[in-house]
Amino acid sequence: MQLTKLTNLHTNKVPNISAALAAATCALLGTLPAQAAGPLEDWKIDTSLMYYGETDRVSAIETVINAEKDFGDEHIFVGKFVVDALTGASATGAVAQSTVQTVSRPSGAGTYQIAAGDTPLDDTFKDTRVQVSGQWTQPWSDNSRLSSGAQISAEHDYFSAGINSSYAYDLFNKNTTLSAGLALSYDIIKPEGGIPLPFGLKSYSAGPGEDDVGDDDAYENDDDDGIDARRADNDNKTTVDLLFGLTQVINRRMLMQFNLGYSMVDGYSTDPYKVLSVVNGLGLTQQLLYENRPDKRAKTFAFWQTKYALNNGVADISYRYASDDWDVNSHTIDSRLRINVGDNSYIQPHLRYYQQSAANFYQPFLIEGQSLPEFATADYRLGEMTAYTIGLKYGTQVNDGDELSFRLEYYQQSPKNAGFAEPGSLQNLDLYPSIKAVIAQVNYRF
Amino acid sequence: MKKTIMKFAVLLLAIQAIGCASLGVEPWERDLLAKDEMALDAEGNDLGLDDHIYFSKEGTSGGRAFAGGGCGCN
Amino acid sequence: MLLCSVVLTTSVAAESVPASLAPNFALNAPSLPATLADLKGKVVYVDFWASWCKPCRKSFPWMNAMQEKFAGELQVIAINLDSEQHLATEFLHKVPASMPIVYDPEGVIAKQYQLLGMPSSYLIDKKGQVRFAHKGFFTERSSQYEQEILALIQESE
Repeated sequence: MQLTKLTNLHTNKVPNISAALAAATCALLGTLPAQAAGPLEDWKIDTSLMYYGETDRVSAIETVINAEKDFGDEHIFVGKFVVDALTGASATGAVAQSTVQTVSRPSGAGTYQIAAGDTPLDDTFKDTRVQVSGQWTQPWSDNSRLSSGAQISAEHDYFSAGINSSYAYDLFNKNTTLSAGLALSYDIIKPEGGIPLPFGLKSYSAGPGEDDVGDDDAYENDDDDGIDARRADNDNKTTVDLLFGLTQVINRRMLMQFNLGYSMVDGYSTDPYKVLSVVNGLGLTQQLLYENRPDKRAKTFAFWQTKYALNNGVADISYRYASDDWDVNSHTIDSRLRINVGDNSYIQPHLRYYQQSAANFYQPFLIEGQSLPEFATADYRLGEMTAYTIGLKYGTQVNDGDELSFRLEYYQQSPKNAGFAEPGSLQNLDLYPSIKAVIAQVNYRF
Repeated sequence: MKKTIMKFAVLLLAIQAIGCASLGVEPWERDLLAKDEMALDAEGNDLGLDDHIYFSKEGTSGGRAFAGGGCGCN
Repeated sequence: MLLCSVVLTTSVAAESVPASLAPNFALNAPSLPATLADLKGKVVYVDFWASWCKPCRKSFPWMNAMQEKFAGELQVIAINLDSEQHLATEFLHKVPASMPIVYDPEGVIAKQYQLLGMPSSYLIDKKGQVRFAHKGFFTERSSQYEQEILALIQESE
């Protein structure tokens, strides 16, 4: 969960063309102009519209409105409103086959077919999410600040509510800032079709199939021991995040930050829509079973960032190492180089590299005849992978101190085989296709 | 390996806090740090959108915080 | 060159300080005498500011008002610490100042006064002693700042 933003700084509007003109006019006329209301505007609003599109898979449109107001003497409120709409198909976790496959949709709303050789994708999930958050920051003592906030997010099959609080303390003439924060969130998962049983059977047939492949057996409990075997409608999970940070001014041009974080998740962490294929010795899928993940996860991370003020821009580089008890370990390097162009514009190339190791219960498929593991997932997002992002942003001042900017990025994920032998016909198929996405965004800040 | 890295990171944090006395600038030398683009939460919308993408498509999330830096005023 | 000021500033901005002679400096402004010491007999409010310091935008209107209200008894001096003067000029066109500006781009005067934050202001009595020091400018404390000025004005020389 993202922790709070704690800002103690007052942004300084960069002198722009109209101010320079006013100054020149002043010099000529020898008088002072009427005090402009510009620099003392009450609200600072930052809006964004982003398109995210994967080739042949998911697309999303996301819009953000971020509004900040300083109520005087460092009492700051930030409100944020986000809407995002998702369409397209996601990988289900099932494995590709050399023949057509027919799979049922959740809640028995019909079936869909997967072409031979294709990675199975399910396009049932068109969804819209709305998120609202508010954050209040104010001084606590002469050298410290307190910040607290809350957020709520809702979509048709997921609801999340969270609160956060953090404290920041300055030392050494504010050259050093220590901070500590805590965030709690509670999520309710209410998937279409209900919560499937772990490793429950999902209706499937190889080949074009019939119109009706029958109800998902995953939602029925065949026990006849008299215990009520209704499917669960929903489930929940709680997350606790702790964050410790140290920000240090190194010199007039350089700022560094070191953060350590610890996170504990407790509750339903399985993806209710994802499955694994059970394949035989020839690599042919016999069944599809719903996946199952542990209901606890403990994560830690260490994060380091440096920002360096160049004569004509800013260089920003960060590194994050993360690790958890699911054995997903990752390295992230993120870098941006802002290059000022003229008085009012800039370009900013962006490069990010990400690498993760597979969760200890990740496997691309199950083998028929082997006993079921306690936990298993074929979701490539928990598998071994590397990813990189390359992008470019262009920004320019418009009107009186407003900023318009555009960002175009390319994001490629390359899942890798974490050491699993591929039986039979699976050897001839690409089980780890790359996912390629384009990100296009426009921002307006005023 | 993971535990060693964590221990090292905590130690580094502690050393930094103590050894930081000699690093830094005078209050009036923060002109560059006071620039909008040098703020840790500059481009907040971009960072938030990116975070959402990577949280959805990868197995790791989080990392940044935004306290400190800036002009150091008041 | 960095000054190794390793001051752990845990104290709240306790504004009244043990009286000590205000470090003297040259006033290169047309409306002022040669040095600070030449202003003895008046209460002097010395404010250190820079174009990149946002609270300074709130402090200027207040300082203008104080200069006008106590003209003759109070001299406000605004010392600019921008490394480039054109930045100060641009700021002054957006936020006008009716008090004189002294330019200290190298921070020489700032070091003499051992500034602990930005902005910083020092209230000097008629005998030339620093009596109050403020770290930062807080609008909600304006009336307190005004009380301090009034108190020093009412003192005899």
